[in-house]
Amino acid sequence: MAGANEGNVEVKGGLRSDQISGVVLIAIALVVIWFNREFPVGTLADPGPGYVPLLLACTLGGIGLLVAVMGARSQSMAGTEWPEATRALIIMVACIAATFALERIGYRLTTAAFLVFFLGVIERKHPLAVVLVPAGFSFASFYVIGTLLKVPLPVGPWGF
Amino acid sequence: MIETFNSLMMGFSVAFQPQVLMYAFFGCIIGTLVGMMPGLGPLAGISLLLPATFGLNPIIAIVLLAGVYYGAMYGGSTTSILMRIPGEAASVMTCVDGYAMTQQGRAGPALAIAAIGSFVAGTLGVIGLMLMAPTLASFALRFGPPEYTALLLMGLFVLAYMSGGSMLKTLAMAVLGLLLGMIGIDVMSGYTRFSFDIVELGDGVGIVPVAVGLFGISEILLTAGQADPPKVQQPTLRQLVPTKADLKLSVGPIMRGSVLGFLIGIIPGSAHIISSFVSYGIERRLSKHPERFGNGAIEGVAGPESANNAAATGAFVPMLALGIPTGPVTAVMLAAIMVHGILPGPMLIQQQPDLFWGFVASMYVGNIVLLVLNLPMVGLFVNLLRIPYAYLYPCILAFCILGCYSVSNSTMDVWIMLVMGGAGYILRKFGFDLAPVALGLVLGPMLELSLRQSLAMSGGEYSIFLQRPIAVTMLVLGLVLLGLALKPLIFKSKDWRSSVGLDENID
Repeated sequence: MAGANEGNVEVKGGLRSDQISGVVLIAIALVVIWFNREFPVGTLADPGPGYVPLLLACTLGGIGLLVAVMGARSQSMAGTEWPEATRALIIMVACIAATFALERIGYRLTTAAFLVFFLGVIERKHPLAVVLVPAGFSFASFYVIGTLLKVPLPVGPWGF
Repeated sequence: MIETFNSLMMGFSVAFQPQVLMYAFFGCIIGTLVGMMPGLGPLAGISLLLPATFGLNPIIAIVLLAGVYYGAMYGGSTTSILMRIPGEAASVMTCVDGYAMTQQGRAGPALAIAAIGSFVAGTLGVIGLMLMAPTLASFALRFGPPEYTALLLMGLFVLAYMSGGSMLKTLAMAVLGLLLGMIGIDVMSGYTRFSFDIVELGDGVGIVPVAVGLFGISEILLTAGQADPPKVQQPTLRQLVPTKADLKLSVGPIMRGSVLGFLIGIIPGSAHIISSFVSYGIERRLSKHPERFGNGAIEGVAGPESANNAAATGAFVPMLALGIPTGPVTAVMLAAIMVHGILPGPMLIQQQPDLFWGFVASMYVGNIVLLVLNLPMVGLFVNLLRIPYAYLYPCILAFCILGCYSVSNSTMDVWIMLVMGGAGYILRKFGFDLAPVALGLVLGPMLELSLRQSLAMSGGEYSIFLQRPIAVTMLVLGLVLLGLALKPLIFKSKDWRSSVGLDENID
């Protein structure tokens, strides 16, 4: 199981990870406060729909400030290693493409194409495996989940 | 007592129905496999199976999902002991001495003690659940909105105190989760908040896509591209038999781990993870030869394994008695019950006795199934670990997409899962614990509603929380724990985490 800060290197000086985290938490709090303007906050005695979100955003901002201030001894950003970042990005892009395709071309075709991409292009597995695993997985999972368990799954314009 | 016994017998009559038995068995097998696979913890397994339970009756649905949960707790120990790969976070401590025993050629006794410890802890946990949940539920019938507000606040304060890592970061994640819970229609005023004109967000953000994204997708993003796991040892049935000395050394840690795990399981947070760390720390401290720990001490396997299984059962107490989840797994299971129109809460045991007692009885059965399943069939299960990760992770990803889509037949849930997966990946790189996000998401709307109902009851007077004895007790208890959690930050002193070695290991 990969853990946090795994494989990181200790580097002195520069921005620390907790300082960045704190600033991001403050930014999230400010964004929430900005969008919360649309909702009546009400009063302490009679809170409106904007009251609790505002309270939570202020709390988040406060905690973010403390994380940033107390983060001087945390892991240096320069020492944080991201060896898996490229692969992670590719995975995310493939998942986004599959989500776009899911209701357009149907579950079986989307899943098969998704697995062909990973096994054939990314992992460069044997061509036979690249054909059999995606076909087997997409049809078998559709049969079990869609047909046997009667969970409606998207079907493409070709009825497939 | 006689009433409890009669109710349990009624539960067994439900649990022994062939269909219920079959699903309990399937749940245990799926859970064991899920627990063994890095990248699929109990939460991801339960979340992905959730849509498949919609067509089942609620008793079978919860029995199946519970089987997956404690099956995963068992399964997680196998990879920890044989390969030093914790299938799920609660098995991290088992890696230390379990793998050391494997290197000494003693994988068999380690696996056997882990399974026996899990069985004893699971069974004692169910007895605790059986005795505590109805009592707690009867007590909770006196709860009104102020008591619920105090209870939820106390839960959040306890979460901060018991957090595995940085208390501030845990609180930040809990608040982030509470904020996610604010998305959707506000039931008191009818306002749709933070939905950005996306119709699907009107119902709020579901726990399943958040859980699968935070725990399933982020794990794959962190581990993708890694080398295939090393070769796996397959102990024979004869090698699994522990010696008398092993059993003698393990009895104390198993009993202590069971009690400790159950009690920690009741409180909110990553209970099963924390309980295994605390149990390991206690056993090391109690041992006459602490230097053996880390070098193959069987107590280091027996204690944490028992503790994490007992914690898994303890988590069902507030879930079934109060309708309040203590962690993401119980939150998803509550969602599974609610899909069937059953309202969890103190009335559940009275209104749905067959569900509660059938569930309790099925857990007794499930523990026996797991013991029988895990010891002789461990050789068969480890074959799964021979599947190269390059084949496994794309299939897991496809299952994640399928599982999230199926919950409400909407790609919106898949988008939420992907956003949460990306966020979870980054948050884990920065050392944040993700369980409080999922917990906050579920508790957020409950907390807001009970707070505003309390104020409506009192005409806007906050003193209502001080006038009700149960509420004020819970608030004081919560504040004391928050104070204790803040103490090390203010006075730069050491807290309980350092004494159990949690600081160095929880990441």
